[in-house]
Amino acid sequence: MAQEKILVVGGGISGVTAAVEAAEMEYDVYLVEKEPTLGGRVLQLRYYFPKLCPPTCGLEINYRRIKSNPRITVYTMATVKEISGGPGNYRVKVEIAPRYVNENCTACGECEKVCQGERVNTFDFGLSKTKAIYLPHPMAFPPYYVLDKSALAEGDLERIMAACKYNAIDPNMQPQTVELEVGAIIWATGWRPYDATKLDNLGYGRFANVITNMQMERLASPTGPTGGKILRPSDQTEPKTVVFVQCAGSRDENHLSYCSYICCLASLKQSLYLAEQNPEIESYIFYIDIRTPGRYEKFLRRAQEEARIHFIKGKVAKIEEDPETKDLVVTAEDTLSGKKVQQRANLVVLAVGMQPSLAEGAVSGVSVDENGFVQVTEGMYACGCAWMPLDVMTSNETATAAALKAIQTIVRG
Amino acid sequence: MARIEPDVKVVKEIQAAGGDTIKKCYQCATCASVCPLATEDVPFPRKQMLLGQWGFKEKLLSDPALWLCHQCGDCTLYCPRGARPGDVLGALRNMAVRELSEFKFLWTFYNKPWGLAILLAISLATVWLTLCIFAGGTPGFPVLPYLPHLSAEEVHILFLKLTPKVIAVDAIFIPLATFVVIMVAIGINRLWNGLVENAGIPAAYRLSFWGVVSTYLVPAIREILAHSRFLECGANRWRFNGHRMLLWSFIILAFVTGVVFIAADVFGFHTPWPIYNPIKILANIGAILLIYGCISIIVNRTRAAAEGKLASSYQDWFLIYLILAVGVTGLLTELLRLAGNVIYPGMYALHLAMVFMLFLSVPYSKFAHLVYRTTAYVFDLYSRDVRAQMAALEAATAPPAEEAPTAPEGAEEAPAEGEEAQEQAA
Repeated sequence: MAQEKILVVGGGISGVTAAVEAAEMEYDVYLVEKEPTLGGRVLQLRYYFPKLCPPTCGLEINYRRIKSNPRITVYTMATVKEISGGPGNYRVKVEIAPRYVNENCTACGECEKVCQGERVNTFDFGLSKTKAIYLPHPMAFPPYYVLDKSALAEGDLERIMAACKYNAIDPNMQPQTVELEVGAIIWATGWRPYDATKLDNLGYGRFANVITNMQMERLASPTGPTGGKILRPSDQTEPKTVVFVQCAGSRDENHLSYCSYICCLASLKQSLYLAEQNPEIESYIFYIDIRTPGRYEKFLRRAQEEARIHFIKGKVAKIEEDPETKDLVVTAEDTLSGKKVQQRANLVVLAVGMQPSLAEGAVSGVSVDENGFVQVTEGMYACGCAWMPLDVMTSNETATAAALKAIQTIVRG
Repeated sequence: MARIEPDVKVVKEIQAAGGDTIKKCYQCATCASVCPLATEDVPFPRKQMLLGQWGFKEKLLSDPALWLCHQCGDCTLYCPRGARPGDVLGALRNMAVRELSEFKFLWTFYNKPWGLAILLAISLATVWLTLCIFAGGTPGFPVLPYLPHLSAEEVHILFLKLTPKVIAVDAIFIPLATFVVIMVAIGINRLWNGLVENAGIPAAYRLSFWGVVSTYLVPAIREILAHSRFLECGANRWRFNGHRMLLWSFIILAFVTGVVFIAADVFGFHTPWPIYNPIKILANIGAILLIYGCISIIVNRTRAAAEGKLASSYQDWFLIYLILAVGVTGLLTELLRLAGNVIYPGMYALHLAMVFMLFLSVPYSKFAHLVYRTTAYVFDLYSRDVRAQMAALEAATAPPAEEAPTAPEGAEEAPAEGEEAQEQAA
């Protein structure tokens, strides 16, 4: 007997959209997310395309649709371990890591106040720290704290358990495995920023003021490490000159052989963040080709008008640090003048490309191409950046399409 | 607007010469940024890749960048498209040698694998015939009976006392050296004129031959002896030692050859000299350096090829193995002679044939980089001076700037001709 349920793997904007769309067509949906909160990459952004909305804008309405729909079962901190069966009849093993905080949690924050142990905040890409017990994001869904036991200081556990008035902390929670039977699977596993330390000529990881574009989003975000003020990591001062290095990893056979679609737009957008903070800040965008797909051409014009951007056609292939000031000198050939240029900058942003999450540690049973993008087969569909590099708007369209394809598999039996 | 046609024939020629990846380049200019030798004013090899894609042969072959590149392979390693700019420049150098040479069939023999047999035949026949004619043949090898045998005894010309062997060697190498010097002079002259024209150096800044040589040749040679640019290629350190050793071995061997030539041919101190003779000791040191340098280069090239940094072409291997053959046959001749082995004259004849082949290769094989790279170094130093002088003059005569307009980087500068072509084609 064919299963009528759908599994959506990944709780970012694409997965949430696919889940809601399928559930609203009256199909039961399991939504599996490996992080402690839904929201994915979009939640980390300051603004997202096309209209430069803050992430709360798009996610909040979707969370409400999830909450009001009993057909959606959400598992966070959960990973797909094993898939067997075929279209119409998959058996999927999902492992749920212990959160050590149960559903009694009201996110009052008393535990956090007494906790002394700290952990590196991966949500901020290492730009900040959180307590060992933390709320992943002010708008976390589900809105529960998470405990990282390995980061606890001595006596922390007693203190936070005493501070919790709701009996929400359960240090003995164990990993759980659930078996799901579904008719179709939608992969919405999204992407991660390409590991910039592999770009050994660009100094990321060696020079404090060379950051990635996703770190820039966190710096600009009101929920980020600086409360939304863009300050450079070495001395927390406002940068006056910022260089954007396009194609950091993308369109490069040694790294990501494809165009990551969004990075040119992201750098234009981030130039607007800088202009919004201080209209005097100069942005230098070093590019091979400025790619603003489709109607985004208009966005290029807008950025040119609203921010002080210098465009230099030539890829940056060398970055050096002034050890005194921690300023950076980037080298490129300006191919329009035919001269090699050296630009000094207070901050360098690498427009790092998107790597599909399944590029490393792919789940057996899913077929991916040589770059790690999911290949669609009957019963297994993909949407968003698990499928190809996309913006949020198009990701959502592919999510709706994937929901329909999943339903078709089920209906056909 | 002028319409510019790509020269497809030239593009194919570049591809066939070992630049088969040239079309992959998408002009990101990573190469010019990672290249430690590319200067601010004259960056390479991005522009050369573009010129190559369009088939602008004249411009390319008169571009000093071709010879300023030491093929460290950094550009190839970092190239996001696998366009291998380092190898393309190598192929272009190869083409440039052909264009600069006279008697191009000799270039063909030196640069095509099938030419090797012809070269061997020419070299062996020349040495054998000359030895037959002037020195009564090589012991152990046949002598053609109806050849003229000019002398089997010592010849006295004025105060000179020449043995038949010396006469034979001189009969081979003095005409050969004369020919090579003339060919090289023609090549250098063509290259220099091309460089000056292509760089658009105004007539007022053009120097006479002696002007150039006296001002810039010494600093250029100093750089070459120190291998300072070679070393600037950070990625080249592994090749640096082998190549420098080889260069110094050539200098040592040239010096001892000169001493022997004067001592033996002019003053009659005939070889072989005893093993403890300082010149002999120096010669042996040179020979060992030569063989060591060759082996070191072979090992390192093989390793670099395995790492994907540079591809070695037939021309690269030909030259290095030819030099190795010269060294090995020379050393074997000496060892066989010391051991009293009867086949040593045959080995000596083989050694002479290898030396002949190497000498003749100077204007035709990769060995030409010896003269053309030196020429390019001289031109580079000269053109830098010209640019500096022109900039100084411009600064001195320019009206005082009222308000320095802050033009965006390069946006208002005239595009170089290559880019112009691209834009027009687009």
